[in-house]
Amino acid sequence: MKNRSLSFWLFVTPTLVALALVVFIPALMGIFYSFTNWDGLTYTTMLGFKNYITVFQDSGFLAALWFTVKFVVVTVILLNVIGLSLALLVTRKFKGNNLLRTVFFMPNLIGGLILGFIWQFIFTQVFDALGFSGWLTNQTTGFWGLVIVTLWQMSGYIMIIYIAYLQNIPTEVIEAAEIDGASPWQRFWNITFPMIAPAFTVSMFLTLSNGFKLYDPNLSLTNGGPYKSTEMLAMNIVNTAYSENDFARAEAKALVFFVIVGAISLLQVYYTRKREVDL
Amino acid sequence: MKIGWKKIAVMAMAALATTTALAACSSGSSSSSSSNGKTTISILQGKVEVNKQLKQIATEYEKTHPNVKITVSSIGGGTEYNPVLKTRISSGNAPTIFSLAGPADAKQFSAQAADLSKTKVAKAALPGTASAVQIGSKTLGIPFNIEGYGFVYNKEVFQKAGIDPTSIKTYDDLVNAVNTLNDKKSELGIKGVFALPGKETWVLSDHLANLYLGQEFNGNAKKMYDSKSMKFTANEEMKQMIDLQNKFSIKPVMQMDYSQQVNQYFSQGKAAMIQQGDWIYPTVEQIDKNFAKNQIGMIPIPVKGQEDKLPVGTSLYWAVNKKKSTKEQKAATDFLAWLYTSEAGKKDVVNKLHFVPAYKGYDNFKMADPLSQVVFDYSQRKATTGWAFPAYTGTSWDPNTFQPNLQRYLAGKQSWDKTVKNSIDGWKTQQNK
Repeated sequence: MKNRSLSFWLFVTPTLVALALVVFIPALMGIFYSFTNWDGLTYTTMLGFKNYITVFQDSGFLAALWFTVKFVVVTVILLNVIGLSLALLVTRKFKGNNLLRTVFFMPNLIGGLILGFIWQFIFTQVFDALGFSGWLTNQTTGFWGLVIVTLWQMSGYIMIIYIAYLQNIPTEVIEAAEIDGASPWQRFWNITFPMIAPAFTVSMFLTLSNGFKLYDPNLSLTNGGPYKSTEMLAMNIVNTAYSENDFARAEAKALVFFVIVGAISLLQVYYTRKREVDL
Repeated sequence: MKIGWKKIAVMAMAALATTTALAACSSGSSSSSSSNGKTTISILQGKVEVNKQLKQIATEYEKTHPNVKITVSSIGGGTEYNPVLKTRISSGNAPTIFSLAGPADAKQFSAQAADLSKTKVAKAALPGTASAVQIGSKTLGIPFNIEGYGFVYNKEVFQKAGIDPTSIKTYDDLVNAVNTLNDKKSELGIKGVFALPGKETWVLSDHLANLYLGQEFNGNAKKMYDSKSMKFTANEEMKQMIDLQNKFSIKPVMQMDYSQQVNQYFSQGKAAMIQQGDWIYPTVEQIDKNFAKNQIGMIPIPVKGQEDKLPVGTSLYWAVNKKKSTKEQKAATDFLAWLYTSEAGKKDVVNKLHFVPAYKGYDNFKMADPLSQVVFDYSQRKATTGWAFPAYTGTSWDPNTFQPNLQRYLAGKQSWDKTVKNSIDGWKTQQNK
């Protein structure tokens, strides 16, 4: 407690004030508004838990939740598999591995909105020309379209995280295993894999929370269409607020969303942390 | 001594950071009042395509009215505009003049919108053009303009096929014309008779549905907005029209969006006609000026009992903020009156804003483009029907029930009967909430 001196508070206060102004106070106001009939300007009555009850009766919200969960499961698995594979590939010693790192990472530098539009063109025009017509016109192709865009965008980023951990593995450990006669697979599964467990914690957390919160590729690629079948949670909330002018119900949905994402992320971090090993 | 300096530096930095943060919050309000005798009126409006022209007109007005200063800001689209207006109202920086999109907006902003029924400009408006934003005896908005839609056609293609578009009055006439066009497709160089954008839900849910749903409400948005139920008796005719457009459209329908429909297909002569309105003119003009000027026309969509009538209506209305000072409110209504009723203003409305006027006293005017001219002619002849669809564009029924159901039918995922039933039931649930 010694370091909680004047300078400690002087450093913390500006951040705290800024955070309070843009995060804590709006969040508290949002919680309050979710119990009213707020329309973005005023509220006239307190509704109690009515908004929350309608959230769970809202078939659009439940469909969006289910669609998002499916999306998260698929992207978390594929992103980590692809990210790790790319990392293993580019950490091997061959000519041009640095170039490949840059290439794999590049899609991440393009914003999700623009990426969505680029891929929309690819799915509708290029795929059409190749004979795969009708992409993005039903739920299945819309779903895989979103998955492909997300993989394209995020794989390189996840790769970077794995690279950082892969390069931290002491070579002695690997060499010792080699001398002991471990096969390449044994070396990977028994040495490398446990050593990069912290990378899993980070990557899983990132892919999980990003998957739930995905909005811009959803907006630019399918905009929830056709017939709202590819609408994800974030988009459902935005539409409730802005196209239906039901800000209070959107607020309630957002809180439910927050609780779901928070709970799942915390659980995931808790469990993957347990598996980490210290050297 | 050294530590002392450090502490002071830290304190200074912290103080600076906090004050800038607070200052950023407190500034921005309490503007737009009168300073040195000038009255400042601020305009926030949702028709982003006339932003530049409106600013030019404001400058012109300031020259002849040196005591008034006008600032214009424009934000496009209903979903982007409303949040900005709400933010500006809650932050104390509300505009003097703002736009409303229909009955839902009128209700929502009734605490801000002044009653304009006694003003000169409201009296000049054509009868019925402001009915959608009237609450009781109060008129909360006056129309920007009137717009109309139908089948926008390619004159050259019709001529080559030997069809006189103005002779298409009934549904059967249309079917005959479509068959002829379809038979001569390769000869005419078109990819399809229609270009139906299946991605753009509003093309069916707003414009097409209005022709059939609007009938039971006399094309009156307010009447529909207040109605607890709907019958949708003409739904079978709507189905026919969707099927016809779908069957003879460039494929794949479900993949087509507005820009493909207008820019890629129609403007390049790949579709003989599209279901759109006079608002597409600037887009077509950008692609091919000559084509836009000479080669396009518009005919009404044939509807039983409403043959040769064009659906015209207003998508935006001007409202004046009643929370502003009387002086500022007067300056605002004076500006609107000048714009729509003075000789100089009228010219700007027609030639700069490219508006088809919703006001009296434009009899001798010629519209700036051929599509607007069609709308103007029909409205002068009073051969029009109304727009009922603004009744539902701001409600949850439209995006959550009507649009997805129509799209499901279009994609072949659901029967028409189910589509109609879901729509009627959904409307009932919403209106009785």
